[in-house]
Amino acid sequence: MATTQENPLLEGLPLAQTPEPCVLVIFGASGDLTKRKIFPALYALALRRLLPQQFAILGAARSEWSDDEFRHNMEAAVREFGRDEFRDDVWERLAEATHYRALEFSDDAGEDELTRFVEQMDSERGTAGNRVYYLAVPPDAMPTLVGELGERHTTEGWTRLIVEKPFGRDQSSARALNERIWQHFAEDEVYRIDHYLGKETVQNMAALRFANGIFEPIWNRQFIDHVQITVAESIGLEGRAGYYEQAGAIRDIVQNHMLQLVALTAMEPPSDFTADSVRNEKVKVLRSIHTPGPKHVVRGQYGRGYVEGIEVPAYREEPGVDPNSMTETYVAAKLFVDNWRWADTPFYVRTGKRLPRRETTITIQFKRAPHPPFAEAAAEELRPNLLTIHVQPDEGVSLAIGAKVPGLGVKLRTVHMDFVYGGAFQVEMPEAYERLLLDAMRGEATLFTRADEVDEQWAIIDAILAAWKRDRPAFPNYAAGTWGPPSADELLHRDGRSWRHH
Amino acid sequence: MTTAAHLEEWTGENVSLAQIENALAELRRESCEDTEGPDLRTSVMTHIAWVPPEWHKAAWATLEGMAERHPSRAIVLVPGGADDHDDLDARVQVAAFSLPGERRHVAAEIVELLLGGRRARSPGSIVMPLLISGLPVFCRWRGSLPFGEQELEELTGIADRLVIDSREWDDPAADYPRLAELFDRVAVSDITWRRTLPWRVALAHEWPEVGRCTELAVEGPPADAHLLAGWLRSRLNRDVRLAGEAADEVESVAVDGRELPRPPADPVSSSELLSAELETFGRDRVYEAAVTAARRERL
Repeated sequence: MATTQENPLLEGLPLAQTPEPCVLVIFGASGDLTKRKIFPALYALALRRLLPQQFAILGAARSEWSDDEFRHNMEAAVREFGRDEFRDDVWERLAEATHYRALEFSDDAGEDELTRFVEQMDSERGTAGNRVYYLAVPPDAMPTLVGELGERHTTEGWTRLIVEKPFGRDQSSARALNERIWQHFAEDEVYRIDHYLGKETVQNMAALRFANGIFEPIWNRQFIDHVQITVAESIGLEGRAGYYEQAGAIRDIVQNHMLQLVALTAMEPPSDFTADSVRNEKVKVLRSIHTPGPKHVVRGQYGRGYVEGIEVPAYREEPGVDPNSMTETYVAAKLFVDNWRWADTPFYVRTGKRLPRRETTITIQFKRAPHPPFAEAAAEELRPNLLTIHVQPDEGVSLAIGAKVPGLGVKLRTVHMDFVYGGAFQVEMPEAYERLLLDAMRGEATLFTRADEVDEQWAIIDAILAAWKRDRPAFPNYAAGTWGPPSADELLHRDGRSWRHH
Repeated sequence: MTTAAHLEEWTGENVSLAQIENALAELRRESCEDTEGPDLRTSVMTHIAWVPPEWHKAAWATLEGMAERHPSRAIVLVPGGADDHDDLDARVQVAAFSLPGERRHVAAEIVELLLGGRRARSPGSIVMPLLISGLPVFCRWRGSLPFGEQELEELTGIADRLVIDSREWDDPAADYPRLAELFDRVAVSDITWRRTLPWRVALAHEWPEVGRCTELAVEGPPADAHLLAGWLRSRLNRDVRLAGEAADEVESVAVDGRELPRPPADPVSSSELLSAELETFGRDRVYEAAVTAARRERL
């Protein structure tokens, strides 16, 4: 398809936003991520005609599947995990473009055959040498695969590399992986996924801050008392013991999602919304985060408890977990962003598994009115103004304000003004992976993390992990179904604050 | 279409606007009596619909499919009450729709006003007090536009966007020039334009050959055919003759005698078509150019 400049008929047509022809090669195609996220996202894009007409998908993994077995398995996955009604005609179009090759990533002959097959797609489907490689493989397979792909990197068409998390397990391994990638690929060909950035409400944070003149003037230490960010899960391991035992909450959530949420909350307004402008501002925040001392970080591990009325096992009793495991399932920290805007304003962050409910929120607590002209008793139920961004579930924004209770006297209460996404926009929100896959195919990198962001994130995490090596906490230290260890509450109580009401 | 979780209604004859506002407040209160917490009034617009009696049934069918998509206050204006009475009869509804994962509901309001006598010619002053302040106003005009008449002048003066369906017009080619005169006063959406989208995409795929075309043949509704031809003329900046024959839907499109493959098209309801137009803000310059370039030609 020609560009808008060449083809005047394209102006105003939605197809101007569809990606150029390409082949999407998914490595790790027999894995859970492909089944739960990638294929349902591809189906949703196909349903909305957002995929290019000249398009092919090639799944590659170790499992010895045929094309038909892969299609059959992916159809079942789309039916189970897709957000849309299943339509045969849409699936048939997608399935017809879908192929599979069993492959050992380190096997030269297999990689050569895969390359030939993709080139064959170019001639059969007109995909013009354009490639999106989706690396949904374990971290230990990543360097080898990157090397194999790099050796076969051609100059025909464009190439984009989507790299799933975890990106390394510390700063040193992340740097080594980046070096490996840069041997063969330019940084602008690399799309490091943090799926939180694909969530509508996370993107709405930018809209809220920079499209509303009322917030930005008060978005600073003068008016904000502190910020709380919660990423809570009620689930346990869900069969991911192998990964989680190595990662823990700090690598699973804090290193990527949590620090990205901090960066988006604290960053300066970018001059425009291009990838580099946004990422430049985020990386400045990450560089400004003061390394938290040991007293400012709390870790925990859940014991037995009750979640939604059901007794659940302790972490150490989960299948695949070492009975003496010291892996943390909870982290809370007090962070400071050392810059002009945020000096001395704490960012309290917490994440954990087996907490009472699934919830991701960013809460801005404003300072109290300096001199409310009401009797103390009148305002005793009045809490400070809170602006809460509900990332999930119940996506939206709420503002807690003080209001007079109707009546002859003066009595003040806190009430909520709610903006619920589903209430104002009665459309289903796209899954993060839909947006991110489409953006990668279109070469739009704003919602992906850049190498220097990852590097700064690991620098913070490495410092915390280094301090943890010096002591051995008594795990488990919180019961499943509670909001974490008592020391997490003390972290705020010491400052005369408390975690947001649950 | 989602069925409302609950629906409260009030009707009145020869009412005042104050009575209507009181009714809305009362219905909203009743609407949340049996729910956990108040219904959400997350309105995104005021949606005025000008609905002559012959369009009444179709308009309500569209509205019923719309309410849960665009929580709003819909003001349905039905001209055609008794000529000798300036009565204002009202039917007011508050419909509450469930939200996934929410215990509360989102409320949509519909105010239907039967405009008698002189009221039908000056609807502006009736509508203005009922607008939700600070939100955009869309005006869906059913049937032909009465160019130059007071009711159209008043409502286009109030609305941010006028939504029409030129398929509903008797002679769209004759009316397009007059429609073009409105463009500098109000943004216009045409549901027929939205319907032609799959064919415009198909034509764009014919580039560069389509850039040299001299004749477009369309078997379909005249409005669709004229808009497609006007679009090609304006985008290509060249004369393109329109040929073809009338049909209820666009059955085929041919460029210089070569028929295009039929584009995949989802069957969409009138509610979905209107819904898509209500998500559009600002002027659609490509559409305006297409209308301006549409001309009277025999099909």
